[in-house]
Amino acid sequence: MTELLSTVVSAAFFFAVIRTTIPLLLAALGGLLADLSGALNVALEGMMLSGALTAVIVSAYLPWWLGALAGVAIGMALGAVMALFHLRFGADVVLVGFALNLMAAGGTVFILSEATGGDKGSSLALPSKGIPRLDLSWLESIPGIGGTLRAALSGHSYLTWLTVLLVPAIWFMLYRTPTGLRLRAVGEYAPAAAAAGISPDRMRTLGLLLSGALAALGGVQLAMFNYIGFTRDMTAGRGFIALGAVLLGARRPGGVAIAALLFGAFEALSITLPALFANIPGELVHTIPFVVTLLALVVYARRAQLLTRRRVAGVERTT
Amino acid sequence: MSRLPGWSLDVLRTVIALVAALAITFVIIIVVSAEPGAAFAALLTGPLGGPRTIGVWLDDVAKLTLAGLALSLVFQARLFALGAQGQAYVGGLAAGVIALSGLGQSWLAIPLGLVAAIIAGAVYGWIPGIIKARFGANEIVSTLMLNYIAIDVFAWLIRTRIAPPGSGLTRSAPFPDAAVYPTLIPRTRIDLGILIAIIAVVAVWFFLYRTKRGFELRMVGFNSRFAQYAGINVPSTIVRTMVLSGAIGGLLGAVFVQGTAYGELAVGFEGMITFEGILVAIVARNQPLLVPIAALFYGYLRQGAVLMGLRSDVPTEMIGIIQGVVILLVASAGLYGWLRAGQAETPSEADADADEPPIIGGGPLTEQPVR
Repeated sequence: MTELLSTVVSAAFFFAVIRTTIPLLLAALGGLLADLSGALNVALEGMMLSGALTAVIVSAYLPWWLGALAGVAIGMALGAVMALFHLRFGADVVLVGFALNLMAAGGTVFILSEATGGDKGSSLALPSKGIPRLDLSWLESIPGIGGTLRAALSGHSYLTWLTVLLVPAIWFMLYRTPTGLRLRAVGEYAPAAAAAGISPDRMRTLGLLLSGALAALGGVQLAMFNYIGFTRDMTAGRGFIALGAVLLGARRPGGVAIAALLFGAFEALSITLPALFANIPGELVHTIPFVVTLLALVVYARRAQLLTRRRVAGVERTT
Repeated sequence: MSRLPGWSLDVLRTVIALVAALAITFVIIIVVSAEPGAAFAALLTGPLGGPRTIGVWLDDVAKLTLAGLALSLVFQARLFALGAQGQAYVGGLAAGVIALSGLGQSWLAIPLGLVAAIIAGAVYGWIPGIIKARFGANEIVSTLMLNYIAIDVFAWLIRTRIAPPGSGLTRSAPFPDAAVYPTLIPRTRIDLGILIAIIAVVAVWFFLYRTKRGFELRMVGFNSRFAQYAGINVPSTIVRTMVLSGAIGGLLGAVFVQGTAYGELAVGFEGMITFEGILVAIVARNQPLLVPIAALFYGYLRQGAVLMGLRSDVPTEMIGIIQGVVILLVASAGLYGWLRAGQAETPSEADADADEPPIIGGGPLTEQPVR
């Protein structure tokens, strides 16, 4: 037990938590924007997977940042396909999302096999690149906590820090700009927004495009920092856990970041635990993020329900 | 253009989707393959190659039918519950435990296996049902999480408890003969599973269209608020739907593990077939009687793709693209405005959308339950 405690409060563990959190957080921010605009994006998983593979293949031949950009571009393209089929052709958004997930699950393996000359499991044959790491060794000079800070914070990718900045940026966009207000208005009650002259379709298209870009960026981080290279189904449900994080985070950027951090911590724990205790089965540890998401879902739904009831009761009292 | 009946439009849409998907497939095959002829031949004619491949195809059809039925039930109630995968694992586990116990040697192995699988699947379907009905917990996320949990726990039990000790295998010992479904046609995979699937089709059809509870389920799917005003208990209908769907998912698990294809418990036995059930349900428009027909078509393509992967340089996984394109094109009512150009006075996209309810409900994540 003390062993567990000393591991969990160690700087290395914090490093691991940040590492596992970032892809989830990016996908969850993407899920948030789409959900707030009123178009539930269940294709986060497929978008992450597509972004990851694209980044790996492109970065094998071009600079890393072009790989990352290509990943984002493919995510936006998938967001555009979602918007097109959902908004223009009237298909249910959940169905479109799952169609994209199926396409991505099969398509990435297919393309991987074509790109590597027959390997359907991983991109080992491709010399793909990673995102450069930001060296913060100077933190060490801070007296007292310097060593810990350096171990926890130095060596993350540029994208990690960009993601940290994205949380307040998205908050600002949503709550301090006209675009954000319109996006939320459309998600809240589209007919009212439409009556006010806001086009729901345009706002949802925006939400889905940004959602695709962010989810794909999560995939990029996964395949260019967390791991270098692509493996079949490497997102392993993160896109769906991200949806859970959107809910648990009460559909606000800050809340979503905290929820993603929580899920990231449990994922990091599930990686650390088997190394510590040989008798803890890996399969059961692996279920931790899923069980936590499930419980979080219930807790959040219960809370939302109580809030609504209280609000309804309040309205009844005043009338 | 004379007025077409609604169903023929649906058929036309499905055919267009299929043809478009195949056309895209052909283009991709021509681009990537050094031997497109062999790839086409395997994809389109492979499954009819012999009794063995036909058997594999029909065995897949039985499983796709059960998966499609489980999903059709929840989709008809406008619940996007994708728990069939996890239910198949818990159902398969329950059936496997019976088959590997002392009962596995007796004639009871098959009926008891079915009952155990149905109960296990129903319980596993009850969980997302009750948290949806009670708290409004989003069923998409909850069922997916339960799927992952079931897969992991199943793998753990197989490795530590069920595989022959010390073998390091990820599967159980073979079931006794009495616990494996009898084949209907010797030396093929055509076994009792097909009969079970047919019975399930008829049972689900009867439930949905000939019983009061089935009517309630469809009303909730059509308009849950109206259903509530009409005096239908919406939360309990949701739970009932999820439990029934779970029972079919569990049944699918038994058909998997006790069928001739496996006859054992193996990690990953389900092979994502339940997600392909989404496609089957959508193409069948959630109509139980159409589910086996959609499963026949899709199962054929699926088997063709497997053979294409074996016999040519085009990977099997390319079928993912067919899956996606078919769902997109079948689900997009608005794509087909031109089809009804001669029908309505003022054909518009809105009309095309409005005259049929969406196949399932994709509301925002925080949709409140109707209480």
